Amino acid sequence: MSSAGTKLGKQDCAAPQTKLRALLVEDNALDAALVLRALNKDGFEVAANIVQDEAEFTRSLRAHPPEVVLADYNLPMWKGMDALKVLRAEALDIPMILVSGALGDVTAVECIRQGATDYVLKDGLARLPEVVRRALREKQERSLRHQIEQDLALKVDELARSNADLEQFAYVASHDLQEPLRMVTAYTQLLAERYRGKLDESADKFIGYASEGAQRMQVLIQDLLAFSRVGRQETSSASVDCNDVLKEVLQSLAAAIAESGAVVTHSELPAVWADRTQVAQLLQNLIGNGIKFRGPEPPAISVLAEKADERWQFSVSDNGIGIAPEYAENIFIVFQRLHARTEYPGNGIGLAICKKIVERNGGKIWAESQPGSGSTFKFTLPGHGPEERIVAQ
Amino acid sequence: MNTAEVEILLVDDSPEDVALTLHALRGENLSNRVFVAHDGEEALEFLFCTGPHAERSFDPPPKLVLLDLKLPKIDGLQVLKQLKGDARTRTIPVVLLTSSREERDRIVGYELGVNSYLQKPVDFDEFRKTVKLLGLYWLVTNQPPVINVKSHLAGQR
Amino acid sequence: MMHLLLELLVVDDNPADVALISEALAGTKYHSKVTSVGDGVEALAFLYRRDKFVHAVRPDLVILDLNLPKRDGLAVLAAMKAGPDLRLIPVVIFSTSQLRKDIMRSYEMGANCYVTKPGNLNGFFSAIKSIEEFWFGFVNLPQKESNG
Repeated sequence: MSSAGTKLGKQDCAAPQTKLRALLVEDNALDAALVLRALNKDGFEVAANIVQDEAEFTRSLRAHPPEVVLADYNLPMWKGMDALKVLRAEALDIPMILVSGALGDVTAVECIRQGATDYVLKDGLARLPEVVRRALREKQERSLRHQIEQDLALKVDELARSNADLEQFAYVASHDLQEPLRMVTAYTQLLAERYRGKLDESADKFIGYASEGAQRMQVLIQDLLAFSRVGRQETSSASVDCNDVLKEVLQSLAAAIAESGAVVTHSELPAVWADRTQVAQLLQNLIGNGIKFRGPEPPAISVLAEKADERWQFSVSDNGIGIAPEYAENIFIVFQRLHARTEYPGNGIGLAICKKIVERNGGKIWAESQPGSGSTFKFTLPGHGPEERIVAQ
Repeated sequence: MNTAEVEILLVDDSPEDVALTLHALRGENLSNRVFVAHDGEEALEFLFCTGPHAERSFDPPPKLVLLDLKLPKIDGLQVLKQLKGDARTRTIPVVLLTSSREERDRIVGYELGVNSYLQKPVDFDEFRKTVKLLGLYWLVTNQPPVINVKSHLAGQR
Repeated sequence: MMHLLLELLVVDDNPADVALISEALAGTKYHSKVTSVGDGVEALAFLYRRDKFVHAVRPDLVILDLNLPKRDGLAVLAAMKAGPDLRLIPVVIFSTSQLRKDIMRSYEMGANCYVTKPGNLNGFFSAIKSIEEFWFGFVNLPQKESNG
């Protein structure tokens, strides 16, 4: 029968006392005593329960959870290895050390493979304390690592949720703001047209400022919406013919191209694996910028592509005002502008949208430029999707 | 022509009227996206993707059907009835553009669900103006039932 | 043959938009009389000539917004298409919504066309003027009812 909480007297010990709660699966009183003595000699103050079958084992496990299980391999009513099954069923990570008579190497390795922490022969009990110490140490490291992983997972979760909230907010805010803004824009414009010259000069000026402000707000809200939409909508990737997309983009920019006398040239563009609408937006923003930030000459913009391993690297180059190298990274930050509103229009979202699009589609974007000598924006996109790699092009 | 890019289906058996209509649409840069059917049967084959048009798909649909009433094989009202009676084609904007002056035709047309009914002006210039306005109204002012035709095309590639 | 006076019913809960519509139509060569109602219930009362609208005139064209209080635009459209007298009246949906489902539902329920409210003044005026010009200047409207 089991004896609860058998505590043996302290023996002479070399090492300082370490408290240890152990659960022994052993039917032989002498063997049990020998095990406990070996531990005591090496500085363990053991509080041990001794059990012989599965029912007692499970009861003791639940009532007094041990730090280590020491099990005899071969018992008349139960196999020591079956203790492992119970530990697993109770979802307990407690080291189990087999204490056994002769155990062939093959069997020993098999036991460890099945989950036993270690094994010690009954005529080699001097090893036992060290084995127990190592098992406890490893358990501690495991627990620590597990805790760290859990904390990390929680933080990642929080961050993802916070990001989602922000994007949701940006979307809702910009969406809901559009309606009242539409009213302000329409009516300030109407006021400007209807009453120009009919009130005093100050009135014209004031209405002008209000009107301008409203229109700028409209563009800003639309850009914010576009920016938040890139994050919200499902990116549906497919094989996209960039020549086709470029043609559409140039059509949308037709007015700006005509007005600035811009010339846009391009090499034969490849097919990429990306979201078509987003690629169109990307090209439209980059080429649009080339037209917008022009120098004294009419804009000359070129769109080129070259293969870089499994990806395509695009370059959109212009002959515009250029960017100082120290700002080359800043420009991709949302709302970051380098010029006064009176010099060049825009609110600094275009490139942030480009960056978001490129990264969402699995690529990178960067700028190479010098003030006064134009800019080149380079970005990469995958050439094909995951399955297509197998099919020959 | 790639029938996926058709934006206007013109159903008319009069060669002169067809020529005049295409000329008027060309002024608005719309004439290369027009498919001409010369009788009611061909119009239905086109819209229901059967016969010679079996490889055409319902999506994207044309943004406008300009339909005459007096047509060989199957007349305009019959075509209209079938279009508006089928869920796959019911939302396609249909405009009856006809030389008929019968009040009855107009009422029946609207009862069958035609989106609008216009009489073909006899005067050359008026005809051109009418077609031009039709093209602009239904392709520019109006929002047709399918939004981004090109994204559908991209998915099909 | 054109009416001397064309009746236009505008169903929109935003008085600012109704005012803009009237502004856009003032001074065109078509003589439209604009009546406006602010929600779906009033719209149907007007169309069925009930209560305070017992002397209302049947409109030649309805410009219908979708987002309305009490009963929304699609409900008004459905009611119009269910009634034998009202279902032939052309309906132009005029809404800020660009949602695919709003556009599709409108067409499915029998709207004649769908025009998105432009965000800028010129676009707005231009859209309303196009609507008026097309429906009152070129289209043969279904009913010729003696008004007045």
